[in-house]
Amino acid sequence: MKILIVEDDLEAAAAMVRGLGEAGLICVHAADGVLGLDAARDGGFDVLVVDRMMPNMDGLSMVEALRQAGDQTPVLFLSALGEIDDRVAGLKAGGDDYLVKPYAFVELSARIEALGRRRDSGGMQTLIKVGDLEMDLISRMVRRQTQEIDLQPREFQLLEYLMRHAGQSVTRTMLLEKVWEYHFDPQTNVIDVHISRLRAKIDKGFDRPMLQTVRGAGYRLDA
Amino acid sequence: MPRQIRLPSVFRNTPFRLTLLFLALFAAAASAFLAYIYGVTAGEVSRRADGEISREIQSLLGTYRQAGMDGLNLALIERTGDGRAFVYLLSDKTGKRMTGTLAVSPVDLDQGPKAGDQVSASFKLTQTDPDGTVIKSAARGQQIRLANGATLFVGLDIGAGESFVLKIVRAIWGAGALVILLGLAGGLVVSGNVSRAMARLNQVVTEVQGGNLRVRIPLRGVRDEFDELAAGMNDMLDRLERSIGGLRHVGDAIAHDLRSPLTRLRTRLELALIDVENGKGDAEAALVQALEDADGVLSTFNTVLAIARLQSAGEAPDQSLFDAGDLTAKIAELYAPLCEDRDIDFQFEATPYLRVKGNQEFIAQALANLLDNAVKYTPSGGAIMLRLRRRASGEVEFSVTDTGPGVPPQDRERVVQRFVRLENSRSLPGAGLGLSLVAAVAQAHEGRLDLDEGPGEINGQGPGLRVAFVLPRAV
Repeated sequence: MKILIVEDDLEAAAAMVRGLGEAGLICVHAADGVLGLDAARDGGFDVLVVDRMMPNMDGLSMVEALRQAGDQTPVLFLSALGEIDDRVAGLKAGGDDYLVKPYAFVELSARIEALGRRRDSGGMQTLIKVGDLEMDLISRMVRRQTQEIDLQPREFQLLEYLMRHAGQSVTRTMLLEKVWEYHFDPQTNVIDVHISRLRAKIDKGFDRPMLQTVRGAGYRLDA
Repeated sequence: MPRQIRLPSVFRNTPFRLTLLFLALFAAAASAFLAYIYGVTAGEVSRRADGEISREIQSLLGTYRQAGMDGLNLALIERTGDGRAFVYLLSDKTGKRMTGTLAVSPVDLDQGPKAGDQVSASFKLTQTDPDGTVIKSAARGQQIRLANGATLFVGLDIGAGESFVLKIVRAIWGAGALVILLGLAGGLVVSGNVSRAMARLNQVVTEVQGGNLRVRIPLRGVRDEFDELAAGMNDMLDRLERSIGGLRHVGDAIAHDLRSPLTRLRTRLELALIDVENGKGDAEAALVQALEDADGVLSTFNTVLAIARLQSAGEAPDQSLFDAGDLTAKIAELYAPLCEDRDIDFQFEATPYLRVKGNQEFIAQALANLLDNAVKYTPSGGAIMLRLRRRASGEVEFSVTDTGPGVPPQDRERVVQRFVRLENSRSLPGAGLGLSLVAAVAQAHEGRLDLDEGPGEINGQGPGLRVAFVLPRAV
């Protein structure tokens, strides 16, 4: 996956390039909005990571310009502005996800990965398959091998998100944001409990567990 | 502030200036009114006199036509003797006085040279009383040229009517002066009152400018607009004092509460470094622990910031109308499995169709914080209840009741403050910010946070705590 990092803080950018590079991503860095826009126009990136506040051209304007030109490359905004309206402004400008600084590196890489893969699984899918697990989005039926699995509505949404991002690490914060649409971090392990319930339903009785805990990061559904 | 012109203080006083303005307007109106009255009445007196004079002249002209100059002369002599009010003067065509009560005509004898020409005039009639005093009074007169070139002048004393009009005018002027005097006095009294009220306000403003936020304006208890303004200012000062005090507290609290975990973090890193240099110890474990510490510091920092922003904004941003039941049910669904896992009986009750205006995200977070607290403090085997209802007052109440150790009444106000943690909670994770954030969210929605008795002792647990997050009347 090829990533464009548009960030004026060179130290932060260097850390990102190194970390994401180690995770196997190819990173290009642009130091401000104008350079970022030029680089993004040349194309070929799977995800753009854009800081909101930069000299010359801020992140919002840069992404707006790209979107107006018809470029639909997924954008992850990075910002020190964490208020709800800041996030809404970022999404309105054409951002696909929003991460508030300072962030954990696992959070950043998990979100980049989620955005990069999202394009592959686009389109109107009605059936999602991960290994021997099948989810029918129309009849809302879930089956592993031949066994039908009965899920609560929220568990269904949770599993759908995990299946759409199969093989990727997803963090608790991402789950809370994408499945529950909450943007705060509870002080108790509410998400873990939901995951363990889901795990009990899809993995119990099968010799190979699919729902993995990724230490220090979150969870991953493996085929 | 330097000012170039300094009027005497009473003139700089707004109510007094208004009084003066009204008095000036009143005086102008009264003068116009008087001028009109004078014009109408004085004119009427002259008109009447002119009418009488005309009739007298007609009658004398009749005599002249029938009996000629001599007859007219005779008639005049007769009339001056019978006590009529008229004065007469008949002069021949050379202007020589022939007969009459007047010595000289008040009208120039050359005027109206043709026969039948008539000239009207106002003049001063000088009369001498029998006791010798000379009286001058206003009079009207007409002079007519006769066919033989002689002139006849007939005048009438209108002094009586005129002086009556003047009396009225004087009376009205007097009354006007009295009104103006009373108005001035009243204006002074009223402006004195207003000035004193304003002075109290100004004094407080000056003190606040000087940095004293504790002063308040004493209310007079008369519930006028000054009391209203004073109450408003006091309320504003309360809020200002609270938020400035809050800021000061946040500063101190951040310094205090971030310093200890930061110190801990630093020490841990230092020790890990020493251990690694000596070739022993688990460097990875130390780093993991350090990361956790750093996350703790960040989350504390974020929460303090969120509280400060909510408090300084005064009102929560992005408010919308939403169904409180839906929001509560979603939070209940998030926390129910957690309670079940910890063997806590979780109950959820909601009045349907309760609409609330507010920031959904913040309210959800407030409820999550309350449930986090309840879960943290309720031992297994206990119970937690999340309830949404409309109070009899119309307010919307979200409440979380638990069967944990509760909060003693004397501590209930304190635990809402930032970073306050009671003795028995120090061993549990948390920074003591949860309730402060909930209170800030409630305040930003013009609501409040009430801490009450829980259900009491149940199965060796309790007495528990009931926390109510109350929002104003549903829309």
